[in-house]
Amino acid sequence: MNVLKVPARTIAVFVLPCLLLYIGLVFVPIVVSVYDSLLDWDSINKAKFIGLDNFKTILFEDTNFWPSVRRTLMYAVFSMAEIPICLFIAALMNRYVRKANTLVSIYFVPVILSVVIIGQLWKTIYNPTEMGGMLNGILTSLGLESWTHSWLTEPKFAMYCLYFVSLWQYFGYHLLIQYTGVQNIPNEIYEAAKIDGAEGFKSDWYITYPMAVPIFKISIVLAFIGSLQAFDLVWVMTGGGPAHATDTISTHMYNMSFLSLKYGYGSALATILVFICLLFTVVINFVFKKVEAKYT
Amino acid sequence: MASKTMKTSAIALSAAALLLGATACGTKENNTADNTNAGTNAGNKGDKEVTITFQNIYPDPETPSYKMLHALVDQYQKDHPNIKIELDSLNTDQQKLKLKTQAASKEVPDITIVNPSAQMKPFVDAGLFAPLNDMIDQNGLKDTFQKGLLDYYSFDGNVYALPDGNNIEVVYYNKDLFAQAGITAPPATYEEFIEDVKALRAKNITPIAIGEKDSWTGSFLFMNVLLRTNGGPGFLQDVLDGKKKFTDPEFTDAVSKFQDLIQAKAFNEGATSVDYNTGGNLFKTGKAAMMIMGTWETGAIDASSVGGKVGVFKFPTVGGKGDPDQFMLAPGSAFAISANSEHLQETKDFLNYFMLNMPKKQFELKNAVGSGQIIEGDFKAAGYSDLAIDVLELFKGVKGGDLAFDNTMKPAIAQVHLSSIQNMFVQKVDPANVAQEHQAAFDSNK
Repeated sequence: MNVLKVPARTIAVFVLPCLLLYIGLVFVPIVVSVYDSLLDWDSINKAKFIGLDNFKTILFEDTNFWPSVRRTLMYAVFSMAEIPICLFIAALMNRYVRKANTLVSIYFVPVILSVVIIGQLWKTIYNPTEMGGMLNGILTSLGLESWTHSWLTEPKFAMYCLYFVSLWQYFGYHLLIQYTGVQNIPNEIYEAAKIDGAEGFKSDWYITYPMAVPIFKISIVLAFIGSLQAFDLVWVMTGGGPAHATDTISTHMYNMSFLSLKYGYGSALATILVFICLLFTVVINFVFKKVEAKYT
Repeated sequence: MASKTMKTSAIALSAAALLLGATACGTKENNTADNTNAGTNAGNKGDKEVTITFQNIYPDPETPSYKMLHALVDQYQKDHPNIKIELDSLNTDQQKLKLKTQAASKEVPDITIVNPSAQMKPFVDAGLFAPLNDMIDQNGLKDTFQKGLLDYYSFDGNVYALPDGNNIEVVYYNKDLFAQAGITAPPATYEEFIEDVKALRAKNITPIAIGEKDSWTGSFLFMNVLLRTNGGPGFLQDVLDGKKKFTDPEFTDAVSKFQDLIQAKAFNEGATSVDYNTGGNLFKTGKAAMMIMGTWETGAIDASSVGGKVGVFKFPTVGGKGDPDQFMLAPGSAFAISANSEHLQETKDFLNYFMLNMPKKQFELKNAVGSGQIIEGDFKAAGYSDLAIDVLELFKGVKGGDLAFDNTMKPAIAQVHLSSIQNMFVQKVDPANVAQEHQAAFDSNK
């Protein structure tokens, strides 16, 4: 602050609009949700205050809650597992591909598409043979008929099919972030390393990866938070079905709040989701602080 | 230099903020001004400028319902220049969600759409809708409705909504595909029905098209089986009254019979990822032999590529039980008026006009099959299809029936039911477990 020689008042003026927006659109609704979660309320009639009963039911009786938590966390794990691969490819591209920007843009295309379009697209790919699904068509033409499945409706496979679409869509996004990060590593360091005898993969290992840690962290946090909120893709492709087999925390929340008309219960789920988000953000930050301290 | 630019922008920003504040104040003042105007105008009776918000579920310009809505609204605005009707046209799911949100903040539009019985009850309990008893007595509107239909929209002797239709569940079948499978006559029993399903499968024809991603479709069909195994209507009502339980044999029978149908591969593969429209299109493009659905589909089937090849039959008896003349009844979505409407009288007058003229307009637009109101007119002469005439013939023989599950039970129970039925499409279940699941949901959401 002192470096810029800007009076605190000016700073306050600049921060204020965003702060107000943030408080109004994020903070207040969270507080309201937390309050609603203590109610037995259908969102239409009078609410009844029931304390922590909703949470008790969710944690100990709701047969659909823990499986949907597991799916949500798996979603997050898969999304995060993709990022090291993105970093690896980004490093390769930086070294071997001249004018990699075009390539990155191509990878980025699915990110621009609306999730509804992507969902519909992949639905036709996953469709059962009877409805001309492309994946099954390819398997059949390869003589692998016994491998064909009705991908989105068999509880065993449905969720993995969804994970895959999400990985496919966000691959370009994380690749772009990692590539930008890798590009920002000063060339002099590589040159110095070359003199010391580190080239190719060796320089990746000792220079690129350690120096990409802060950017890596950004991707991890984005991927994690993004997948905790996974809703749109699931809703478009399976609607959480068949029979809750692909429900995530947020689709379960939607079901409860708007379809079952248990608004208080839905709010309790939302509160738990916020809590999980906060908890894991703290954990991730803690882990990366250690990693960063080690490498930078 | 940097600090100077910053200062300038800071000033610009605060100026902008001030402006925003000013406009906010401005609108407020305008509002009050409007109110006073309205107040003074109210003195000059009849000329009051009134805007009525009309939330509806007819957003698709291709459909007859859309044309009917716009024709009537335009006419009314022409006859009453001081009245402006603002249409808020949404598709069904969006409208349901929007109304719930509006209800939460007590801002229900002047006219909105609700579903009968249990589905509209929470809104009525919250006092959001105006009773329409006085309004339906005007111009003889009440007598245009089929007998007993308004009961589904009445609570404690007050009518709260007026339906846009009244349909029954029937089996539509593609005559060409039936002939290909060597089926000569529509099945009269469930057992024959399953044989026919197998015959169709043997010819590689999808027997029944369904869009089970929208899980009410499977439930609607399942309820028809239950209507038979129960030997007549009223099973759910009996459960509500404490006379029966979901674990009773009528219900478990229905589950196992319905499972027989699924296990005979009666439905399109991967049905649970197929939405309602896509499911319907399987039938309407001749890819499936049957569709078991409400009669509201009649017009759309006539207009599709299989139009003219489609016949209709009643859902058969199951295990010798039930009466084919009893149907799953689907009293339509209905128009309700907000109790807090600022222009209650004008809104009532408009809806009265709308409901009185709707049947005639629907008839002209060939959309009158499944009308909830009595229609005078020769359907055949007006050019209605054979299918439509057959369906109308079925209507004449209706001897009562049941409402859909979600029209009878609370939403929380209905959701458990819907996903329980959806589950049957993807794996074999033990009927006793399904019954248990229902009973548990019922007990915990009484």
